[in-house]
Amino acid sequence: MTTEPQRTPRRGAAEPTGQRPPTASERPPGLRREHRRRSAFAYLTLSPTLAIVGLLMAYPLYVAIDLSLRGGQIADLLNLERNPLTLDNYGDVLGDPGLAGDIVRSIVYTLGVVIPAFAIGLGLAVLLNKAFPGRRIIRPLVLLPWAVPGVVVSAAFAWMFDASYGVVNYLLRTVGAIDSNVAWLVDSNTAMFAVILPTVWKYYPFFVLVLLAQLQSVPNELYEAARVDGASPLRQFTHVTWPAIRTAASLAIVITGIGVFREFDFIFPLTGGGPNEATQTLAIRIYNEAFQFFEMGTAAALGIVTMAICGVLLKAAGRAVRREFG
Amino acid sequence: MSTTLSRPRRWSLLALAIAATSVLMFPIYWMIMTSVVPSERLLVSEPPLVPPADATSFSAWTSVFRDVPVLEWMRNSAITTLGAAVISTVVSTLGGYSLSRFRTRGQQAMGFTLLFSRMLPGTLLIIPTFVLFANFGMVNNLWSVTLVNTAATVPFTTWLMKGFVDAVPVEIEQAAMIDGCGRAGALWRVIVPLLKPGIAATFTYASILTWGDFLFARTLMGNPDGWTVTVGIASFIGEFSVDWSGLMAVGLTSMVPMIILFLFLEPFLTKGMTTGSVKG
Repeated sequence: MTTEPQRTPRRGAAEPTGQRPPTASERPPGLRREHRRRSAFAYLTLSPTLAIVGLLMAYPLYVAIDLSLRGGQIADLLNLERNPLTLDNYGDVLGDPGLAGDIVRSIVYTLGVVIPAFAIGLGLAVLLNKAFPGRRIIRPLVLLPWAVPGVVVSAAFAWMFDASYGVVNYLLRTVGAIDSNVAWLVDSNTAMFAVILPTVWKYYPFFVLVLLAQLQSVPNELYEAARVDGASPLRQFTHVTWPAIRTAASLAIVITGIGVFREFDFIFPLTGGGPNEATQTLAIRIYNEAFQFFEMGTAAALGIVTMAICGVLLKAAGRAVRREFG
Repeated sequence: MSTTLSRPRRWSLLALAIAATSVLMFPIYWMIMTSVVPSERLLVSEPPLVPPADATSFSAWTSVFRDVPVLEWMRNSAITTLGAAVISTVVSTLGGYSLSRFRTRGQQAMGFTLLFSRMLPGTLLIIPTFVLFANFGMVNNLWSVTLVNTAATVPFTTWLMKGFVDAVPVEIEQAAMIDGCGRAGALWRVIVPLLKPGIAATFTYASILTWGDFLFARTLMGNPDGWTVTVGIASFIGEFSVDWSGLMAVGLTSMVPMIILFLFLEPFLTKGMTTGSVKG
């Protein structure tokens, strides 16, 4: 097998041009001017995004790395450049036996939210894709939790989980599931469940939204043909519905997974990471290190470690999701 | 499908949908219920499940508006939300256009950076951001809350908008440019009008996110005058004895603007998710 030498110069790829362009030297002068204008416009339209992301993402990330390498207590924030570089903060974070617990809790929380939220979202999307009276009223209603601020969701669930007067205890007592009241948010056996539930409630509509949009693009004829062939509802689902939505489903799972892994708005107001660290995920731990104990260097190092863990998990999740869905 | 479903099946689907909706809407129902029943009827071991006819009152609502600066919190939230949603929409329309129409190294690198920046934990970013704004004397400033929320939404909304621009055929703007429009003119006069559903979806997404933001507003806004509604609400929860009726009244009030926006824009949103997040 002989490989033909590449005819088009490599540098063509670096030119700010459109799809399969001629290289700059091949172009007549008028086109070259047009080409310059085009690339100027390409960067002009991108520059606001660049400014925002650079100023408010990249620069803080740089400061965080610096802080993790030089800083300690909050006072160090003022003379960071004079502090020597050290890996002490990373040593503290990685040498801390509590870190494994934080990682496990973050994963438990993420899976505990994503799996039920996806299941509820899928069920509702399939249901709402069918024509039945009242669908137009039901649809915005079930999507509504998505528009409710996380803190309001937390407040509502804090009240429903109240140890003495909460409706959850009352209903469970009425149906005989429990004998006496459970202190959902204060008991370290139940606290994780009690922070997962409101998060599921907030996140399931996103799955409905994505999956329903996908299902609506499936032509009806496919279902009719399947019915004519005598396919059972289950086979219709596995052979028509599922192939149509699985790419969108895996993407939505990954996007939600990242969001939940870093989630703050539910756990912090409900338990602050307690009781006894039972709900202390990495995101909560970082916040507590920084703004309760003012250990800025440790918090920054922990943040960088969290990012790395998130990247590793994302890669693993991406592979698993692709195997499962793609 | 509507024609092929038998009548009893359609009604059983409705029954199923109502059952599911009742369970899922219970938290909101319970908030409403709590806000109109006086505490002495609620703080018992067997609270009523429907508002009792003899003891329904709106006193929690009136006292909350009297005792707590709800309207000021709402105003602060409105300022940051409107600011962040408008800036995000403009920035991500331009950025989405650039990512969709030009495929150069700059665009590819930016596309990757945007995806990557979604991985940064908010609690990590807030520390240096706090330092940054403190250096500029911009802590306790609604602008800093607005800007941070803009930065938090832009990575996703830019990808969303890229999906929408992808769906607009290139020929349309080429035709406009042949007719004498400049590149910017073609973008503004031809593409932007076609992007209306995408712009609506982006605006809604950014609004919902910013209105619901708690982390950034809480950290950057120590001064109670600048509290947004989420920070105000969270300040209730930590208290030793919580005024649940009042808290639920504030919570419900805070939901109203987003519900209105959501009901207007929800049809666009469903469409937006097809073209945007999925293909993007």
